[in-house]
Amino acid sequence: MASARRINNILLREWEAIFRDLNSALFVTCLPVLILAQAMVVVWLLAHYGGEAVATSSVFMTAIARMAGAMPSTDGLHNVDMLRLLLLNQLPLYLLLVPAIVAVAFATFSILEEKLTQSLEPILATPVRTWELLLGKALSGAVPAIAATWVCAGLLVAGLHVLQWDHLLGWVMTASWYLALFLLTPAVALLSFLLGIIASPRAADSKAAQNIAILIILPVMALIGIQVTGQVWFTPILMLAISLAVIVIDIMALFLAVRLFRRETIVSGWR
Amino acid sequence: MGQSGTAPLVQTSGLTKKFGDLLAVENLTLAVEAGQILGLLGPKDAGKTTTLRMLAGIIAATSGQARVAGFDPSASPEKLHEMIGFLPESPGLYGKLSARRNLEYFAGFYRGIDGSRIEAQLKAVGLWERREDKIGSFSKGMKQRLALARALVHDPVVLLLDEPTAGLDPQAGRELRQMITTLREQGKAIILSTHNLPEAESLCDRIAVVHTRLLAMDTPRALRERLFQREIEVELQKPNELAYKSIKDLPYVKAAIIDGCLLRVELSEPETMQPNLIATLVKAGAKIMSVTEKRHSLEEIYLDLLHKEADGKR
Repeated sequence: MASARRINNILLREWEAIFRDLNSALFVTCLPVLILAQAMVVVWLLAHYGGEAVATSSVFMTAIARMAGAMPSTDGLHNVDMLRLLLLNQLPLYLLLVPAIVAVAFATFSILEEKLTQSLEPILATPVRTWELLLGKALSGAVPAIAATWVCAGLLVAGLHVLQWDHLLGWVMTASWYLALFLLTPAVALLSFLLGIIASPRAADSKAAQNIAILIILPVMALIGIQVTGQVWFTPILMLAISLAVIVIDIMALFLAVRLFRRETIVSGWR
Repeated sequence: MGQSGTAPLVQTSGLTKKFGDLLAVENLTLAVEAGQILGLLGPKDAGKTTTLRMLAGIIAATSGQARVAGFDPSASPEKLHEMIGFLPESPGLYGKLSARRNLEYFAGFYRGIDGSRIEAQLKAVGLWERREDKIGSFSKGMKQRLALARALVHDPVVLLLDEPTAGLDPQAGRELRQMITTLREQGKAIILSTHNLPEAESLCDRIAVVHTRLLAMDTPRALRERLFQREIEVELQKPNELAYKSIKDLPYVKAAIIDGCLLRVELSEPETMQPNLIATLVKAGAKIMSVTEKRHSLEEIYLDLLHKEADGKR
């Protein structure tokens, strides 16, 4: 009860700091939409101008064949639709960039603010526990990051309607899609934030911290690369396994963050 | 038990802190009772802040024991933090939040603090009228007052104040000292670190001169008496060698020097022997213009202690 009150106290103040700052507010609202818009434009351009030629190219043939094997029957869909499907099925993975980038930015913003105001020392003299402080901060970054991703997913569905690609929805909103959104996205957001928390106190400034923590984006990009080139298709089972693996890494990262968040280093070193 | 018969609210024994090979605090033993102010006086890097942080349970001691408000700071910091108020050297407030919101946030870590308590604290430090202003626009003195209100918002019994008036203008410093005096009257045990000698002298019941380790601890007056003999200065109307000779060998005179019209005398018992000294001088024909007791400033005491410590290390 007391822990919940203290975590909530941290959460509310963090959000107050983030959303009262114009740059931060624009970052959390505009960046996800830009990421999605960019992806949608690429999908549309490839399908519209590349069309049959791209769909039947050796680059995508393997991936399309692997996708078709992993999905309910795609009979009746022509080659361009298959290309659209292949690209649209990368978007749940591509949208993982949103929680990764937003959460790490919030983490570094949060820690940097405490450093600049030297407010951690008086906080550490209150009854708050280290894990409560870190969880409050992690949630304050993870929740907007997850929400932004879900809003983007909603916009993606709306975009498919606008482009009159609704007939593909059944092959896009698969079990893998829901697992990516509702299991992998929160796990990635939390991991990203925790890596930001771990990196921030060790970095000289926020940019350096973001550079360290942004490394989480590389595995996300690798996932897209693996799937779009047809090396592996992320079936629901595989997506579940990846999500669980990230959750395990989350737990390890939380322990590591609590362990590395040493009060002594913070009060004597953060000057 | 302390001198007044009450158990000390802060008590340490052999408290030591090392950062790697660096010895920050060595074997510190002290005690502070309710309604007392103990000043930690020392130069920069003397271990004052480290001592306060150990007592506040923010960093752990390397060895030694401490009890603060009945709790071991390293064993149960959360319980301890309900009982202590800590004012760090830097106010550590959020510049983009209002004074009220800053106080509400920190109050949110404690149980049962409502709006009326926050209002009372803001009024007590004279910031109620500015409660909705962002503290980025506040002067250093106002920020320090707000930080003091934050340290007091949960009504702690022990206050740990790290250089509370550092960097404040004279008026703001005076206001803060008045507040600290009021808190002593309310019965709080207060430890404050400072390198401001007049502040330590005017504010503190006892002073602990520290330089990594404790060099001396007593009341300002007792420190003076312990370190310096009490000296009487007698101003004569004109130089009088005969008067000097009449007193220099008296049993209660430890030393006497004449320098023109000024006669300096160290007495073993100044209160009782000073009238005898004056009577002897008058009998020897001296015409006395004034008699004053030379008081050594705290600065002299402080420097003397540090010099002695430096000599001891050589």
